Amino acid sequence: MMKLDRRSVIAVAVSVSVLGGCSRSSSPPVDQSKAAVPGTASSPAQAQPVNEDAKALAGFLDRVNQYVALHMKLENTLPKLSKESTPQQVDSHQRQFAKLIQDARKDAKQGDIFTPESQAVVKKLISRIFSGPDGASLKASIMDENPGVPNLKVNARYPDEIPVSTIPPQLLQGLPKLPEEMEYRFVGNNLILMDTHAHIIADYVPNTFRQ
Amino acid sequence: MLKRSSVAFVVVVLFFLHHPSVVRTKSTAIQAQPAAAGLPLTMPNKADSLRFAVLGDFGTGSKEQYELATEMKRVHDQFPFELVTLVGDNLYGSERPQDFKQKFEDPYKPLMDAGVKFYASLGNHDDPQEQRNYKLFNMDGKRYYTFKPDTKQSVRFFVLESSYLEPQQVAWFEQQLKDSNSDWKIPYFHHPPYSSGERHGSDPQIRNALEPLFLKYNVSVVFTGHDHFYERTKPQQGIVYFVAGSGGQLRKGNIDKSTGLTAAGNDQDQAFLIAEINGDQMWFNAISRQGKVFDTGTITRRK
Repeated sequence: MMKLDRRSVIAVAVSVSVLGGCSRSSSPPVDQSKAAVPGTASSPAQAQPVNEDAKALAGFLDRVNQYVALHMKLENTLPKLSKESTPQQVDSHQRQFAKLIQDARKDAKQGDIFTPESQAVVKKLISRIFSGPDGASLKASIMDENPGVPNLKVNARYPDEIPVSTIPPQLLQGLPKLPEEMEYRFVGNNLILMDTHAHIIADYVPNTFRQ
Repeated sequence: MLKRSSVAFVVVVLFFLHHPSVVRTKSTAIQAQPAAAGLPLTMPNKADSLRFAVLGDFGTGSKEQYELATEMKRVHDQFPFELVTLVGDNLYGSERPQDFKQKFEDPYKPLMDAGVKFYASLGNHDDPQEQRNYKLFNMDGKRYYTFKPDTKQSVRFFVLESSYLEPQQVAWFEQQLKDSNSDWKIPYFHHPPYSSGERHGSDPQIRNALEPLFLKYNVSVVFTGHDHFYERTKPQQGIVYFVAGSGGQLRKGNIDKSTGLTAAGNDQDQAFLIAEINGDQMWFNAISRQGKVFDTGTITRRK
Protein backbone atom coordinates (compact mmCIF):
# COMPACT_ATOMS: atom_id res chain seq x y z
CA MET A 1 0.00 0.00 0.00
CA MET A 2 1.51 3.30 -1.03
CA LYS A 3 2.04 5.80 1.73
CA LEU A 4 0.94 9.30 0.75
CA ASP A 5 1.92 12.38 2.66
CA ARG A 6 -0.37 15.35 3.29
CA ARG A 7 1.49 17.67 0.93
CA SER A 8 1.01 15.22 -1.90
CA VAL A 9 -2.71 14.92 -1.32
CA ILE A 10 -3.24 18.70 -1.28
CA ALA A 11 -1.23 19.20 -4.45
CA VAL A 12 -3.02 16.33 -6.11
CA ALA A 13 -6.40 17.69 -5.12
CA VAL A 14 -5.53 20.86 -7.01
CA SER A 15 -4.37 18.94 -10.05
CA VAL A 16 -7.36 16.69 -10.14
CA SER A 17 -9.71 19.63 -9.93
CA VAL A 18 -7.99 21.01 -13.03
CA LEU A 19 -8.25 17.68 -14.77
CA GLY A 20 -11.92 17.70 -13.93
CA GLY A 21 -12.76 20.29 -16.52
CA CYS A 22 -10.78 23.50 -16.19
CA SER A 23 -9.51 23.90 -19.71
CA ARG A 24 -9.87 27.62 -20.35
CA SER A 25 -6.60 29.45 -20.27
CA SER A 26 -8.23 32.51 -18.78
CA SER A 27 -9.47 30.62 -15.75
CA PRO A 28 -8.48 32.16 -12.46
CA PRO A 29 -5.91 30.38 -10.31
CA VAL A 30 -7.33 27.38 -8.51
CA ASP A 31 -8.36 28.18 -4.98
CA GLN A 32 -6.77 25.38 -2.97
CA SER A 33 -9.27 25.76 -0.17
CA LYS A 34 -12.05 24.89 -2.61
CA ALA A 35 -10.21 22.26 -4.60
CA ALA A 36 -11.85 18.88 -4.90
CA VAL A 37 -10.49 16.33 -2.51
CA PRO A 38 -9.94 12.95 -4.13
CA GLY A 39 -13.03 10.84 -3.69
CA THR A 40 -15.46 13.69 -3.25
CA ALA A 41 -16.75 13.95 -6.81
CA SER A 42 -20.42 14.69 -7.14
CA SER A 43 -21.57 11.42 -8.64
CA PRO A 44 -20.40 7.82 -8.32
CA ALA A 45 -19.79 7.69 -12.06
CA GLN A 46 -17.25 10.52 -11.75
CA ALA A 47 -15.78 9.36 -8.50
CA GLN A 48 -13.89 6.39 -9.84
CA PRO A 49 -11.68 8.16 -12.45
CA VAL A 50 -10.99 11.07 -10.09
CA ASN A 51 -9.82 8.62 -7.47
CA GLU A 52 -7.63 6.77 -9.90
CA ASP A 53 -6.10 9.97 -11.27
CA ALA A 54 -5.54 11.34 -7.79
CA LYS A 55 -3.93 8.13 -6.67
CA ALA A 56 -1.62 8.11 -9.68
CA LEU A 57 -0.54 11.70 -9.12
CA ALA A 58 -0.15 11.23 -5.38
CA GLY A 59 2.06 8.25 -6.11
CA PHE A 60 4.06 10.40 -8.51
CA LEU A 61 4.56 13.08 -5.85
CA ASP A 62 5.56 10.46 -3.36
CA ARG A 63 8.29 9.24 -5.70
CA VAL A 64 9.36 12.84 -6.33
CA ASN A 65 9.69 13.30 -2.57
CA GLN A 66 11.78 10.15 -2.34
CA TYR A 67 14.01 11.50 -5.10
CA VAL A 68 14.33 14.84 -3.32
CA ALA A 69 15.26 13.08 -0.08
CA LEU A 70 18.13 11.40 -1.91
CA HIS A 71 18.98 14.71 -3.58
CA MET A 72 19.22 16.48 -0.21
CA LYS A 73 21.21 13.69 1.40
CA LEU A 74 23.79 13.80 -1.42
CA GLU A 75 23.85 17.57 -1.68
CA ASN A 76 24.66 17.81 2.01
CA THR A 77 27.86 15.86 1.42
CA LEU A 78 29.19 18.71 -0.75
CA PRO A 79 30.57 22.04 0.45
CA LYS A 80 27.77 24.63 0.50
CA LEU A 81 27.76 27.41 -2.06
CA SER A 82 27.99 30.88 -0.62
CA LYS A 83 26.91 34.26 -1.93
CA GLU A 84 30.56 34.83 -2.81
CA SER A 85 30.84 31.64 -4.91
CA THR A 86 32.55 32.10 -8.24
CA PRO A 87 31.16 30.66 -11.49
CA GLN A 88 33.97 28.10 -11.26
CA GLN A 89 32.74 26.98 -7.84
CA VAL A 90 29.07 26.94 -8.88
CA ASP A 91 29.82 24.96 -12.03
CA SER A 92 32.08 22.53 -10.20
CA HIS A 93 29.48 22.05 -7.48
CA GLN A 94 26.77 21.36 -10.05
CA ARG A 95 28.83 18.76 -11.92
CA GLN A 96 30.01 17.01 -8.76
CA PHE A 97 26.46 16.90 -7.51
CA ALA A 98 25.21 15.49 -10.81
CA LYS A 99 27.85 12.77 -10.61
CA LEU A 100 26.73 11.80 -7.11
CA ILE A 101 23.12 11.46 -8.22
CA GLN A 102 24.03 9.64 -11.41
CA ASP A 103 26.08 7.13 -9.39
CA ALA A 104 23.37 6.68 -6.78
CA ARG A 105 20.72 6.17 -9.49
CA LYS A 106 22.82 4.32 -12.03
CA ASP A 107 20.02 1.88 -12.77
CA ALA A 108 17.35 4.58 -13.10
CA LYS A 109 15.19 4.31 -16.19
CA GLN A 110 12.36 6.16 -17.84
CA GLY A 111 9.15 5.59 -15.92
CA ASP A 112 10.65 5.16 -12.47
CA ILE A 113 9.13 8.41 -11.21
CA PHE A 114 6.53 8.95 -13.89
CA THR A 115 4.99 5.49 -13.77
CA PRO A 116 2.67 4.49 -16.62
CA GLU A 117 -0.34 5.47 -14.50
CA SER A 118 0.95 8.96 -13.76
CA GLN A 119 2.12 9.38 -17.36
CA ALA A 120 -1.42 8.69 -18.51
CA VAL A 121 -2.82 11.32 -16.15
CA VAL A 122 -0.23 13.89 -17.23
CA LYS A 123 -0.98 13.24 -20.88
CA LYS A 124 -4.70 13.57 -20.20
CA LEU A 125 -4.12 16.88 -18.47
CA ILE A 126 -1.99 18.21 -21.32
CA SER A 127 -4.49 17.01 -23.89
CA ARG A 128 -7.33 18.72 -22.04
CA ILE A 129 -5.47 22.02 -21.80
CA PHE A 130 -4.35 21.86 -25.43
CA SER A 131 -7.86 21.16 -26.65
CA GLY A 132 -9.00 24.52 -25.26
CA PRO A 133 -9.24 27.71 -27.29
CA ASP A 134 -5.61 28.61 -26.57
CA GLY A 135 -4.26 25.18 -27.39
CA ALA A 136 -2.40 26.20 -30.53
CA SER A 137 -0.68 29.16 -28.91
CA LEU A 138 0.21 27.08 -25.85
CA LYS A 139 1.86 24.49 -28.06
CA ALA A 140 3.66 27.19 -29.99
CA SER A 141 4.91 28.68 -26.74
CA ILE A 142 6.29 25.34 -25.58
CA MET A 143 7.90 24.53 -28.91
CA ASP A 144 9.49 27.97 -29.28
CA GLU A 145 13.28 27.41 -29.56
CA ASN A 146 12.69 23.82 -28.47
CA PRO A 147 14.10 21.51 -31.14
CA GLY A 148 14.30 18.45 -28.88
CA VAL A 149 17.15 15.95 -28.80
CA PRO A 150 17.37 12.58 -30.54
CA ASN A 151 18.26 10.52 -27.46
CA LEU A 152 16.68 11.73 -24.29
CA LYS A 153 18.12 9.86 -21.31
CA VAL A 154 17.24 9.66 -17.64
CA ASN A 155 20.13 10.80 -15.44
CA ALA A 156 21.78 12.69 -18.30
CA ARG A 157 22.82 16.32 -17.98
CA TYR A 158 20.25 18.66 -19.51
CA PRO A 159 21.75 19.47 -22.92
CA ASP A 160 23.77 22.69 -22.65
CA GLU A 161 23.19 23.65 -26.23
CA ILE A 162 19.40 23.90 -26.09
CA PRO A 163 17.45 26.59 -24.27
CA VAL A 164 14.86 25.65 -21.69
CA SER A 165 11.28 25.62 -22.88
CA THR A 166 8.64 27.90 -21.52
CA ILE A 167 6.03 26.13 -19.40
CA PRO A 168 2.76 28.01 -19.80
CA PRO A 169 1.15 29.18 -16.55
CA GLN A 170 -2.00 27.19 -17.36
CA LEU A 171 -0.03 23.96 -17.42
CA LEU A 172 1.79 24.78 -14.20
CA GLN A 173 -1.57 25.38 -12.56
CA GLY A 174 -2.64 21.90 -13.51
CA LEU A 175 0.47 19.85 -12.84
CA PRO A 176 1.28 18.84 -9.26
CA LYS A 177 3.44 21.42 -7.53
CA LEU A 178 7.04 20.29 -7.26
CA PRO A 179 9.55 20.93 -4.50
CA GLU A 180 11.99 23.77 -5.11
CA GLU A 181 14.70 21.35 -6.27
CA MET A 182 12.68 20.12 -9.24
CA GLU A 183 10.87 21.60 -12.21
CA TYR A 184 9.00 20.60 -15.32
CA ARG A 185 10.35 21.43 -18.75
CA PHE A 186 9.76 20.19 -22.26
CA VAL A 187 12.42 18.79 -24.55
CA GLY A 188 10.61 18.51 -27.85
CA ASN A 189 7.21 17.13 -26.89
CA ASN A 190 8.62 15.16 -23.95
CA LEU A 191 7.79 16.50 -20.52
CA ILE A 192 10.89 16.20 -18.37
CA LEU A 193 11.32 16.31 -14.64
CA MET A 194 14.47 18.29 -14.09
CA ASP A 195 16.69 18.40 -11.05
CA THR A 196 17.55 22.09 -11.13
CA HIS A 197 20.48 21.97 -8.73
CA ALA A 198 22.23 19.10 -10.50
CA HIS A 199 20.97 20.13 -13.96
CA ILE A 200 20.02 16.57 -14.85
CA ILE A 201 16.92 14.84 -16.14
CA ALA A 202 15.36 12.79 -13.34
CA ASP A 203 12.64 11.28 -15.53
CA TYR A 204 10.37 12.16 -18.43
CA VAL A 205 7.03 11.47 -20.09
CA PRO A 206 7.58 10.79 -23.79
CA ASN A 207 5.42 12.21 -26.57
CA THR A 208 2.97 14.13 -24.45
CA PHE A 209 1.33 15.76 -27.45
CA ARG A 210 1.25 15.61 -31.21
CA GLN A 211 3.65 18.12 -32.74
CA MET B 1 -18.76 79.81 -26.73
CA LEU B 2 -17.93 79.75 -23.07
CA LYS B 3 -19.85 76.50 -22.72
CA ARG B 4 -17.90 74.89 -25.56
CA SER B 5 -14.57 75.97 -24.03
CA SER B 6 -15.62 74.54 -20.69
CA VAL B 7 -16.52 71.25 -22.28
CA ALA B 8 -13.17 71.14 -24.07
CA PHE B 9 -11.37 71.95 -20.83
CA VAL B 10 -13.19 69.18 -19.00
CA VAL B 11 -12.36 66.74 -21.79
CA VAL B 12 -8.68 67.62 -21.57
CA VAL B 13 -8.66 67.33 -17.79
CA LEU B 14 -10.47 64.00 -17.93
CA PHE B 15 -7.98 62.74 -20.47
CA PHE B 16 -5.06 63.52 -18.18
CA LEU B 17 -6.84 62.12 -15.15
CA HIS B 18 -7.95 58.87 -16.73
CA HIS B 19 -5.44 58.17 -19.46
CA PRO B 20 -3.13 55.93 -17.53
CA SER B 21 0.13 57.18 -18.93
CA VAL B 22 1.02 60.03 -21.17
CA VAL B 23 3.83 59.44 -23.59
CA ARG B 24 5.60 62.16 -25.48
CA THR B 25 8.12 60.76 -27.87
CA LYS B 26 10.30 61.24 -30.87
CA SER B 27 11.78 58.51 -32.98
CA THR B 28 13.90 58.60 -36.08
CA ALA B 29 14.66 56.29 -38.94
CA ILE B 30 17.83 54.36 -38.37
CA GLN B 31 20.91 55.18 -40.36
CA ALA B 32 24.18 53.42 -39.67
CA GLN B 33 26.49 56.35 -39.05
CA PRO B 34 29.69 56.79 -37.11
CA ALA B 35 28.98 58.25 -33.69
CA ALA B 36 29.74 61.88 -33.01
CA ALA B 37 32.08 62.73 -30.13
CA GLY B 38 29.24 63.60 -27.79
CA LEU B 39 25.98 61.70 -27.95
CA PRO B 40 22.85 63.77 -28.50
CA LEU B 41 21.09 62.43 -25.41
CA THR B 42 17.88 64.13 -24.41
CA MET B 43 17.86 63.20 -20.74
CA PRO B 44 17.47 65.85 -18.03
CA ASN B 45 20.32 64.15 -16.13
CA LYS B 46 19.29 65.64 -12.80
CA ALA B 47 21.46 64.88 -9.81
CA ASP B 48 18.64 63.42 -7.72
CA SER B 49 17.13 61.23 -10.49
CA LEU B 50 17.30 57.47 -10.71
CA ARG B 51 19.25 56.66 -13.85
CA PHE B 52 19.36 53.16 -15.26
CA ALA B 53 19.87 51.16 -18.44
CA VAL B 54 17.98 48.20 -19.90
CA LEU B 55 19.77 45.44 -21.80
CA GLY B 56 18.66 42.04 -23.05
CA ASP B 57 19.66 39.02 -25.13
CA PHE B 58 23.27 40.06 -25.00
CA GLY B 59 25.56 37.23 -23.82
CA THR B 60 26.93 36.07 -27.15
CA GLY B 61 30.58 37.03 -26.75
CA SER B 62 30.40 38.50 -30.24
CA LYS B 63 32.11 41.57 -31.63
CA GLU B 64 28.72 43.29 -31.76
CA GLN B 65 28.08 42.68 -28.06
CA TYR B 66 31.47 44.19 -27.20
CA GLU B 67 30.87 47.18 -29.45
CA LEU B 68 27.52 47.87 -27.83
CA ALA B 69 29.14 47.52 -24.41
CA THR B 70 31.69 50.14 -25.45
CA GLU B 71 28.84 52.40 -26.50
CA MET B 72 27.17 51.87 -23.13
CA LYS B 73 30.31 53.03 -21.38
CA ARG B 74 30.45 56.10 -23.62
CA VAL B 75 26.86 56.90 -22.71
CA HIS B 76 27.67 56.30 -19.05
CA ASP B 77 30.40 58.94 -19.25
CA GLN B 78 27.71 61.45 -20.18
CA PHE B 79 24.81 59.98 -18.30
CA PRO B 80 26.06 58.08 -15.26
CA PHE B 81 23.39 55.41 -14.78
CA GLU B 82 23.66 53.53 -11.50
CA LEU B 83 22.34 50.16 -12.58
CA VAL B 84 21.48 47.97 -15.54
CA THR B 85 18.34 45.83 -15.60
CA LEU B 86 18.96 42.67 -17.59
CA VAL B 87 15.89 41.27 -19.31
CA GLY B 88 17.25 37.77 -19.85
CA ASP B 89 19.28 35.57 -22.18
CA ASN B 90 22.34 36.68 -20.31
CA LEU B 91 24.54 33.88 -21.62
CA TYR B 92 24.05 31.97 -24.84
CA GLY B 93 25.41 28.48 -25.36
CA SER B 94 27.63 26.97 -22.72
CA GLU B 95 27.80 28.50 -19.25
CA ARG B 96 31.20 27.38 -18.13
CA PRO B 97 33.20 29.75 -15.90
CA GLN B 98 35.08 31.11 -18.90
CA ASP B 99 31.76 31.99 -20.54
CA PHE B 100 30.80 34.24 -17.62
CA LYS B 101 34.04 36.06 -18.21
CA GLN B 102 33.92 36.28 -21.99
CA LYS B 103 30.19 36.97 -22.33
CA PHE B 104 29.69 39.22 -19.34
CA GLU B 105 32.62 40.27 -17.19
CA ASP B 106 34.97 41.36 -19.97
CA PRO B 107 32.59 43.45 -22.08
CA TYR B 108 31.01 45.24 -19.10
CA LYS B 109 34.17 45.57 -16.98
CA PRO B 110 34.50 49.32 -17.66
CA LEU B 111 30.92 49.83 -16.43
CA MET B 112 31.41 47.66 -13.35
CA ASP B 113 34.67 49.46 -12.62
CA ALA B 114 32.64 52.67 -12.69
CA GLY B 115 30.35 51.24 -9.99
CA VAL B 116 27.43 50.14 -12.16
CA LYS B 117 25.45 47.18 -10.79
CA PHE B 118 23.65 44.63 -12.95
CA TYR B 119 20.38 42.98 -11.87
CA ALA B 120 19.53 39.93 -13.95
CA SER B 121 16.32 38.20 -14.85
CA LEU B 122 16.40 34.73 -16.37
CA GLY B 123 15.67 34.05 -20.02
CA ASN B 124 15.13 30.74 -21.74
CA HIS B 125 18.84 30.47 -22.55
CA ASP B 126 19.88 30.89 -18.92
CA ASP B 127 20.69 28.14 -16.44
CA PRO B 128 18.88 29.21 -13.26
CA GLN B 129 21.19 27.37 -10.89
CA GLU B 130 24.36 28.88 -12.33
CA GLN B 131 23.06 32.40 -12.78
CA ARG B 132 21.02 33.01 -9.66
CA ASN B 133 24.14 32.21 -7.63
CA TYR B 134 26.39 34.42 -9.72
CA LYS B 135 27.30 37.35 -7.55
CA LEU B 136 27.58 39.93 -10.33
CA PHE B 137 23.96 39.31 -11.36
CA ASN B 138 22.77 40.37 -7.88
CA MET B 139 19.96 37.79 -7.74
CA ASP B 140 20.81 36.72 -4.21
CA GLY B 141 20.21 33.08 -5.05
CA LYS B 142 16.62 33.74 -6.16
CA ARG B 143 14.93 33.07 -9.45
CA TYR B 144 12.54 35.98 -9.00
CA TYR B 145 12.98 38.88 -6.64
CA THR B 146 12.34 42.54 -6.05
CA PHE B 147 14.65 45.40 -5.22
CA LYS B 148 14.50 49.07 -4.41
CA PRO B 149 17.43 51.01 -5.78
CA ASP B 150 19.32 53.38 -3.53
CA THR B 151 17.72 56.61 -4.71
CA LYS B 152 15.57 59.50 -3.55
CA GLN B 153 13.03 58.50 -6.18
CA SER B 154 10.12 56.26 -5.31
CA VAL B 155 10.91 53.25 -7.50
CA ARG B 156 10.82 49.49 -7.03
CA PHE B 157 11.74 46.84 -9.59
CA PHE B 158 10.08 43.41 -9.77
CA VAL B 159 12.14 40.78 -11.52
CA LEU B 160 10.22 37.74 -12.77
CA GLU B 161 11.11 34.41 -14.34
CA SER B 162 8.72 34.32 -17.27
CA SER B 163 9.64 30.89 -18.62
CA TYR B 164 8.30 29.27 -15.43
CA LEU B 165 5.44 31.39 -14.21
CA GLU B 166 4.00 29.02 -11.64
CA PRO B 167 1.03 30.08 -9.49
CA GLN B 168 3.30 30.63 -6.47
CA GLN B 169 5.37 33.15 -8.41
CA VAL B 170 2.28 35.03 -9.61
CA ALA B 171 0.89 35.09 -6.05
CA TRP B 172 4.25 36.32 -4.75
CA PHE B 173 4.30 39.03 -7.41
CA GLU B 174 0.82 40.24 -6.51
CA GLN B 175 1.69 40.33 -2.81
CA GLN B 176 4.85 42.33 -3.53
CA LEU B 177 2.92 44.80 -5.68
CA LYS B 178 0.29 45.12 -2.99
CA ASP B 179 2.86 45.70 -0.25
CA SER B 180 4.88 48.22 -2.23
CA ASN B 181 4.26 51.89 -1.62
CA SER B 182 6.62 52.95 -4.40
CA ASP B 183 5.20 55.33 -6.96
CA TRP B 184 6.93 53.52 -9.79
CA LYS B 185 6.47 49.78 -9.82
CA ILE B 186 8.56 48.44 -12.68
CA PRO B 187 8.42 44.76 -13.63
CA TYR B 188 10.94 43.26 -15.98
CA PHE B 189 11.38 39.77 -17.35
CA HIS B 190 12.20 37.95 -20.57
CA HIS B 191 9.08 37.06 -22.55
CA PRO B 192 7.16 40.05 -23.93
CA PRO B 193 3.42 40.29 -23.36
CA TYR B 194 3.40 42.58 -26.40
CA SER B 195 5.86 42.42 -29.25
CA SER B 196 5.82 42.73 -33.02
CA GLY B 197 8.43 40.04 -33.50
CA GLU B 198 7.85 37.81 -36.48
CA ARG B 199 10.00 35.17 -34.77
CA HIS B 200 8.30 35.20 -31.35
CA GLY B 201 5.84 38.06 -31.01
CA SER B 202 3.45 38.72 -28.15
CA ASP B 203 3.18 36.00 -25.53
CA PRO B 204 -0.53 35.70 -24.73
CA GLN B 205 0.02 33.31 -21.80
CA ILE B 206 2.33 35.72 -20.04
CA ARG B 207 -0.03 38.56 -20.86
CA ASN B 208 -3.06 36.74 -19.47
CA ALA B 209 -1.24 35.96 -16.25
CA LEU B 210 0.39 39.33 -15.60
CA GLU B 211 -1.47 42.13 -17.34
CA PRO B 212 -4.39 42.17 -14.84
CA LEU B 213 -1.86 42.74 -12.06
CA PHE B 214 -0.08 45.49 -13.99
CA LEU B 215 -3.41 47.26 -14.40
CA LYS B 216 -4.60 46.70 -10.85
CA TYR B 217 -1.42 48.04 -9.27
CA ASN B 218 -0.76 50.97 -11.62
CA VAL B 219 2.28 49.69 -13.43
CA SER B 220 3.29 52.21 -16.11
CA VAL B 221 6.19 50.56 -17.95
CA VAL B 222 7.36 46.99 -18.48
CA PHE B 223 10.76 45.92 -19.82
CA THR B 224 11.25 42.64 -21.70
CA GLY B 225 13.46 41.00 -24.33
CA HIS B 226 13.32 37.66 -26.23
CA ASP B 227 12.68 39.20 -29.64
CA HIS B 228 16.03 40.34 -30.96
CA PHE B 229 15.33 43.96 -31.69
CA TYR B 230 14.26 47.14 -29.94
CA GLU B 231 10.60 48.03 -29.78
CA ARG B 232 8.51 50.47 -27.80
CA THR B 233 4.83 49.71 -28.06
CA LYS B 234 2.02 52.16 -28.21
CA PRO B 235 0.46 52.21 -24.73
CA GLN B 236 -1.55 49.04 -24.17
CA GLN B 237 -4.35 49.88 -21.73
CA GLY B 238 -2.09 52.73 -20.66
CA ILE B 239 1.07 50.67 -20.16
CA VAL B 240 4.14 51.06 -22.35
CA TYR B 241 6.00 47.82 -23.12
CA PHE B 242 9.62 47.90 -24.18
CA VAL B 243 11.37 45.03 -25.92
CA ALA B 244 15.12 45.44 -25.49
CA GLY B 245 16.31 42.19 -26.97
CA SER B 246 19.22 43.28 -29.15
CA GLY B 247 22.02 43.67 -26.63
CA GLY B 248 24.20 41.24 -28.56
CA GLN B 249 21.82 39.29 -30.71
CA LEU B 250 20.02 40.89 -33.61
CA ARG B 251 17.30 39.59 -35.91
CA LYS B 252 17.38 42.03 -38.77
CA GLY B 253 14.08 43.04 -40.31
CA ASN B 254 12.08 41.05 -37.78
CA ILE B 255 9.64 43.75 -36.67
CA ASP B 256 6.28 43.00 -38.20
CA LYS B 257 4.96 46.42 -39.09
CA SER B 258 1.44 45.12 -39.52
CA THR B 259 0.80 44.45 -35.82
CA GLY B 260 -0.14 48.05 -35.12
CA LEU B 261 1.69 47.79 -31.80
CA THR B 262 4.87 49.63 -32.64
CA ALA B 263 5.41 53.20 -31.54
CA ALA B 264 9.12 52.97 -32.35
CA GLY B 265 11.47 50.18 -33.29
CA ASN B 266 14.91 49.27 -34.51
CA ASP B 267 15.65 45.91 -36.05
CA GLN B 268 18.73 47.05 -37.92
CA ASP B 269 21.37 47.35 -35.21
CA GLN B 270 22.11 46.22 -31.66
CA ALA B 271 20.68 48.61 -29.09
CA PHE B 272 20.03 49.36 -25.45
CA LEU B 273 17.85 51.73 -23.51
CA ILE B 274 18.59 54.31 -20.85
CA ALA B 275 15.98 55.79 -18.55
CA GLU B 276 15.73 58.47 -15.91
CA ILE B 277 13.03 58.79 -13.27
CA ASN B 278 12.34 61.94 -11.37
CA GLY B 279 9.00 62.43 -9.66
CA ASP B 280 6.20 61.30 -11.90
CA GLN B 281 8.23 61.40 -15.10
CA MET B 282 10.37 58.82 -16.82
CA TRP B 283 12.55 59.96 -19.69
CA PHE B 284 14.09 57.43 -22.05
CA ASN B 285 16.58 57.26 -24.91
CA ALA B 286 17.25 54.21 -27.06
CA ILE B 287 20.77 54.06 -28.44
CA SER B 288 22.22 51.87 -31.16
CA ARG B 289 25.64 50.26 -31.44
CA GLN B 290 26.49 52.96 -33.98
CA GLY B 291 25.82 55.63 -31.36
CA LYS B 292 22.55 56.81 -32.81
CA VAL B 293 19.89 58.02 -30.37
CA PHE B 294 16.90 56.74 -32.29
CA ASP B 295 14.00 56.86 -29.86
CA THR B 296 13.36 59.39 -27.13
CA GLY B 297 10.42 60.32 -24.99
CA THR B 298 8.81 60.86 -21.63
CA ILE B 299 6.28 58.72 -19.81
CA THR B 300 4.12 60.04 -17.01
CA ARG B 301 3.31 57.39 -14.47
CA ARG B 302 -0.20 56.02 -13.99
CA LYS B 303 -1.94 56.96 -10.77
